[in-house]
Formats: sequence, structure tokens, C-alpha cells
Amino acid sequence: MGVVVGPRVIDAGVSLLSVLISPVPVAAGYPSPAQDYFDGRIDLNEHLIKDITSTYVVRVSGESMEGAGISDGDELIVNRALEPKDGSVVIAVLDGELTIKRLRVTGTGVVLQAENPAYPDILVPSVADLVIWGVATRCLHHV
Amino acid sequence: MRHMPQIAHVDVNCFYASAERAFNPSLEGRPVIVLSNNDGCAVTRSPEAKALGIPMGEPWFKLAPRAKQWGLVALSSNYELYGDISARVMELLGRYSAWLEVYSIDEAFLGVKGAPGELLALGRDMKTAVRRNVGVPVCVGIAGTKTLAKLANKWAKNNPAFDGVCHWDSVPAADREALMRRLSVIEIWGVATRLTKRLNALGIHSIHDLSRADPVMIRDRFSVVMMRTVLELQGTPCIPMEEERIGRDQLIFSRSFATPITTAAGMRQVMSVYGQQASARLAKHGLQAKVLTAFAGTSHFNPKDTAYPSVCVPLPMPTADPVLLTKAAHALLPRICEGIRYARAGIMVTDLRPTGNQAPLALFENPHEERHVGTLLEDVTRRYGRGSIGLGHAGIRGGPDWTMKRDMLSPRYTTHWDELPLVKAA
Repeated sequence: MGVVVGPRVIDAGVSLLSVLISPVPVAAGYPSPAQDYFDGRIDLNEHLIKDITSTYVVRVSGESMEGAGISDGDELIVNRALEPKDGSVVIAVLDGELTIKRLRVTGTGVVLQAENPAYPDILVPSVADLVIWGVATRCLHHV
Repeated sequence: MRHMPQIAHVDVNCFYASAERAFNPSLEGRPVIVLSNNDGCAVTRSPEAKALGIPMGEPWFKLAPRAKQWGLVALSSNYELYGDISARVMELLGRYSAWLEVYSIDEAFLGVKGAPGELLALGRDMKTAVRRNVGVPVCVGIAGTKTLAKLANKWAKNNPAFDGVCHWDSVPAADREALMRRLSVIEIWGVATRLTKRLNALGIHSIHDLSRADPVMIRDRFSVVMMRTVLELQGTPCIPMEEERIGRDQLIFSRSFATPITTAAGMRQVMSVYGQQASARLAKHGLQAKVLTAFAGTSHFNPKDTAYPSVCVPLPMPTADPVLLTKAAHALLPRICEGIRYARAGIMVTDLRPTGNQAPLALFENPHEERHVGTLLEDVTRRYGRGSIGLGHAGIRGGPDWTMKRDMLSPRYTTHWDELPLVKAA
């Protein structure tokens, strides 16, 4: 035989532990050259989610943000704790609905901008009239 | 100047309704109720629903005919959503104090220290952060004992002048006394209707009366528990950590460790033990759970390297099975950082329902329930070491949820990929 296989991956809940214990099959008598280099798999949570308490995933419905590379059916990673700034892609509350737009804050006012010429921008009288639900940080675009 | 430790009690306002509103802004300002299991009766009412005169526990069939006329929105209990929102709130609160006790799905006690001004600022910070990060409103009560912290929180909720945060000791003594004179003993934590009658018979009507009662007399006539309440009202902290509680729709196990746990392997054992305890306790009460939340935390004696990981796991079907519950609790393990000294951990099971409701379809019966598989696994593991035995596909994944009537269920926005919140690009 000569091959020792590490603890089996049972399911998503326990796989990480198993993986860390023995990432690769270990050949008895001859150490695997990969063994020392294994440092854990890429974990998307670690790279895409800055704060687990404030990060949500939402799904886009509609084409008004095509120009920003955000298409109908794409998923967005949204951080509610980020301060929205001029240029942020935001989820705003408009008429009781979650709506995605690009936020433009200028000297003359606040605009919720569509990224598709077929859709109108929305003028907001003042920042006080605006409820921002969260700031989009990533788009999971379907290719 | 040294300050005595204080206790902050934080809870989410109208938790279930607020969790729904966080993802459905159109519910803002409208009367909203959330119904109990099987869409039975109202268990959460938004202030607008309370204003309509809808009593707690009102059966849905009585309300349904008038719902449209009132603009009343009724929703089934979305425990997957509430469990995740709860886990987020608790994790966030854990960042404000290294001493956190998850008391129920929507409330926690935290140990806090500082000058009155600092405590007020801390309370406001917590309130702002939970609202901003998670999206739900909380109120905060801070006092020298758990009982007074609960009372301070109630005051913060009902008196807009506090803006949601009340530090008991900062309120003028005359105002505190006036409040305690005004409120009946039934308003105090741990005093139920039956006890109220017996207290009234002794001439104890208000919270103020109770706070002036002789603790020893109270112990002799009632119980040690009631004596503790009296002492706590007088400012002496004496309600300890509770390790197991069963509430209306949840069961919590949590415990501090004698020696900190520093490895995922150690936490795995703890979670296995809790999973089995929860199973036994659910079985004893004839209940099954649909959602499990697991959490851990570092000690307040070690303010460095604090961590409060938590995770919410929707179970594939209602269960009291030790194997399924243990597996679910193990979802916490990837969140455990090796080397961090965890001083406590716990699990909470929610969305409880009677076992008897399950239709007797042999196909969907869980094969582990009667065979003590969980105990066997632990025994084998203890004897032969971790990894000596493992689980295959325990139970049935994604079995149909035919036991539960949830006709008005909102999307499970944060736990099911197919039910993510939709944002309009129009």
C-alpha cells in the first residue's frame, strides 16, 4: 500500500479542519514535496468579506447598471458599514424598494446615476432625504 | 478612579419584525406581525400593529378578515433569517466587551466598565453599530445588576428622551424611584403572573415595594430566585450565568470553560457535547429544531485577542437527532482561530416544533433518532481518537418541509442562495 490518506472530508462544516491536518496524501517512507508548501486554500470569505456582521449578498434585477459591468442576475457583495462617497455604487431605498445606482455628490446636489443611457438619473433634494442601505464592493458577474 | 463593573443589557426592538424590515423597506411604518409556528398566532408586533390594538398571541384566523382593511402585513416565522441576524448582532456586540452572555435570540448581557459618560457613549456606539452593520434597531440598558440593566433597557425603549440608551446610575435618584413606584412587580424580570398575586397579597405591588422588601423574608416565603431579584433591585449583583434555558421558541446551552480552549479540535469536542445535550433536552420536551446557532468567545480577563465567532445553520429538516445537531454545531469550527483562548461557547436551537407534528412517513424518519448513534460516535472517538470514525451523509438532505405551515414566509435572504434580496436596476 504505502499511502496514508488523511481524515476524509466529511462535509463543508468540517472540511477545513481535515484539510489542515493532512492536505495531500502522504507517501510513507518518502515525504511529499508539496507537504511543506501547503498553507490553506484560498478562502473567498477572507478576501471578499471584510466584516461578516455587515456584509450581505444581493441579486440584481434589471439593466440600468450595465455600464458599470453590473448585469441582470449578477450577485453583489454589499457592505452596510461602509460610508457612501461620491462615486460609490450604492443600494438606496427608493419607494420602499432596494435600488442600485451610482451615487454622485456634487456642490449642487445629490444624484443617483444610472449606468445605462436608457435609464434616467434620479435627483435627490439633499443627502438627508436619502436612505442608503449599503455600498456594493464586488460584482459576481455571470460569464 | 476605579469603576465598578456594570452590566449592559442589549436587545433588538421587535426583533422578528425588525429583521424582516431590514430586507424589505416597504414594511417600514406599516403594521407588521410575525406569526408563530404553523402560522398560529402573532408573536411579534411592530409598534404600528400594537397601535391597532392587536394583542400578543392573537390567533391569525381572528385577524385575517380585517388584515386588508388595516393594511396589516402578516409573515410566517423566518427562523433562518432571524438566526443569522441574531448571530451577526451577537458577533458585533462581542467586539464591545470581552464578556458576553447570549441570553436569547435577540438579547445579550455584556460586562462593561468605565465612567458614566463613557458607559453612555459605549451604549450609543453599540446601538449605532448594530443599526448600521446589521440593519436592526436595539436598545441598551446599563446598570450594576442584570435585573436593573433589564429595567433600564425597558425604560430606554419606552421613553424617547433616552434615545434608546439608559444608564441607570446616571438618572437622578428621584426619577428612578418614581419609575419603580409606577411599575408593577410583574414588569420585573423573572416575576410571572402567579407570583404577582402572591406578592400583592403581602402588600408588595410596585417594583419599589419589592426593592424595599426583606430579602430573607422573600427567600422564606418564595424562593432563592426571588430573593436574588430583590438583592439585584437593591444593587447587589447575584444572578449568575445560566447554562441552559428553554424559552418560547428556543433552547440555549452555554458555558464558561475552566481552562480556555485554544484549538478547533478542542472546540469540536465541546460542540459535540452540546449537540448531544441539545438533542437530549429537545427529546425530553418532545421538540424538534429547524435552526441551530453556534458561538464562542474569549474571556474578559484577557482583553487582547478577543474573538466572538458565531454561525447560523438551517437544518435540512426539523430534528432532535444528536448526529445532525452535532454536525450543524461543527460549522463553527472553520471560524475558530488556532491559538486564540476561547473561554466560553454555546449553541442555541430555534424554530422549535412538537415532534408529534411530523407525519409518519417512514421514508423521512431519521434513522439515528432511536439508535444512540451520537453517543456511540463520541465513545468511539474518545477511545480511538479523532478521525477513527466519521459520518457519511447523515440523514436526508433537503427533505421536504411538509410539517410546517409557513404560507407567508419571506425569502430566507441570508441563508439561501436562491432567495437573495433583489435590488432593482431600473
